Amino acid sequence: MTRIYLILGIVFGFILSRSGAADYDFIQGMFLFTEFQLYGIIAVAVLVTAPGIWLIKRRGHTIFGQRLAIETKPFHRGNVAGGILFGIGWSIAGMCPGPMLVNIGEGKLYAIAALAGALVGAGLLGSLYPALQRPFALPPLKLGTGEG
Amino acid sequence: MPLILHDLPPLHWALAGLGIAGVTLALLFLANRRLGISTGFEDVCSLVLPFPYFKRGAVVSGREWRLPLLAGLVLGGFLSAALGGGWQPTWALGVFDQAIGWGPAAKVAWMFVGGLFIGFGTRLAGGCTSGHGIFGLANLELPSLVTTISFLGAGIVTSQIVYRVLFPMVGL
Repeated sequence: MTRIYLILGIVFGFILSRSGAADYDFIQGMFLFTEFQLYGIIAVAVLVTAPGIWLIKRRGHTIFGQRLAIETKPFHRGNVAGGILFGIGWSIAGMCPGPMLVNIGEGKLYAIAALAGALVGAGLLGSLYPALQRPFALPPLKLGTGEG
Repeated sequence: MPLILHDLPPLHWALAGLGIAGVTLALLFLANRRLGISTGFEDVCSLVLPFPYFKRGAVVSGREWRLPLLAGLVLGGFLSAALGGGWQPTWALGVFDQAIGWGPAAKVAWMFVGGLFIGFGTRLAGGCTSGHGIFGLANLELPSLVTTISFLGAGIVTSQIVYRVLFPMVGL
């Protein structure tokens, strides 16, 4: 199975690299409304994935017969607060988490600094989780904010 | 507009969207997994940080599949560069170089700050563009709609401030 994940990652990474999703200029073009590219990509990805998920859920099993077990994400105040913080970071760095790794693979050296920042940021969130739980109405620690 | 990477022409957005949908669905249909990259930050953190948050089941059990996926992303970027004109380290940053024009040291600081927001924000929100924006929206999850609107909105406001107010550039 490890090989499947690796291959899917490579395909995903190649597409992100060549589509503009891992490109600083295309990200700014999306946020400045000068480029349609990223809106088109996200819209098509969602619109095609949606009926696909529906069909797979209706079948109820993976191709290998395993019962489908997908957790949905919990609702909490972190959705808005974290979303806003992430959006600011996405604009500053011009990359979201997947493309960050793609950029490193492409040889864009500054992306290593972005990844270092992201790991420190995630580490901070994890260490502060008990203190953030009440103000953001976050789920119990053993569940976390949601897998994704 | 060409990519920063070797000035390559970008894939058509419909083709790229279709490809991403294919990967997302393959992950679900083959492996029973929901696409999500930002939890990978926690997977990496969990290797070195002792906090109970990083000992949760979703993190520990996720490592075995998410870490190979993340490694694949790096490899995919490497292959894309290698096949598209050759792999070489670069500091090129497109409009940032034209409008702001700071050197490598300042870029490192800029990117580190951006990364901090990304790491903390995605994990507070419970996902990023992939987990909320693609899988969550496609699975009709309300928290994902709220989160996606929040991060797109914040990104739009931030870029408008950076490139239309702080460092305005003709032609952008």
